[in-house]
Amino acid sequence: MTSVAVDGVVTFAEGLPGFESCRQFVVVASQAMQPFTVIQGLDAGGPSFVAIDPRRVEGEYATELDRVDLARLGSTGQDPLLWLAIVAAREDGSATANLRAPLVINPAAMRGIQLIGVDNTYPIDHPLLVT
Amino acid sequence: MLVFTRRLDEAIIIGDGIEVKVLRIGKDGVRLGVTAATHVPVHRREVYDQIRAANAAAAAAAMSPEQLVARIRGHLASNPKPTLP
Repeated sequence: MTSVAVDGVVTFAEGLPGFESCRQFVVVASQAMQPFTVIQGLDAGGPSFVAIDPRRVEGEYATELDRVDLARLGSTGQDPLLWLAIVAAREDGSATANLRAPLVINPAAMRGIQLIGVDNTYPIDHPLLVT
Repeated sequence: MLVFTRRLDEAIIIGDGIEVKVLRIGKDGVRLGVTAATHVPVHRREVYDQIRAANAAAAAAAMSPEQLVARIRGHLASNPKPTLP
């Protein structure tokens, strides 16, 4: 569960890898969806993702943002940020969370990035367990 | 494809804002330094490709969170000890 609310359109200036032409996204969260959040692309052909707070998946999850990342987010470093790991449903009914390249959103600037950290060693397909 | 021969400490310029410089030449690899504006994403090709594939797979299989939870619960019920990939 995330305590950072995002209301409105978030701009991913670089798009997401594979969906570079979609820059505008909305974050859809509701009690009924918990612990998940939906990230819906608004531009034509925009993708839709289910996502989850990476700390719900890996309690000790921590990934560094460098100066460049903060600049891309329009963040002073003090703003609360929303972290979301994209969830992939698999054929067999299982699901995984991408902890390697999380989405990071700065609600104060309504800007987001998909963080591809050089030093991030978390798995791209962490198994997801729902209790 | 443009092909250049560059020696140690030599660089190429792409456009007017991106510099790629040879920092070290070793037996197993070449160390490159990239200088670019903050809005220019620079990634290792294989990492970028991996994340692009993961995004595409996640978007293709996107479903409502309710459906997803039901699916995962069903999967875990039939696989009480899921094996790690």
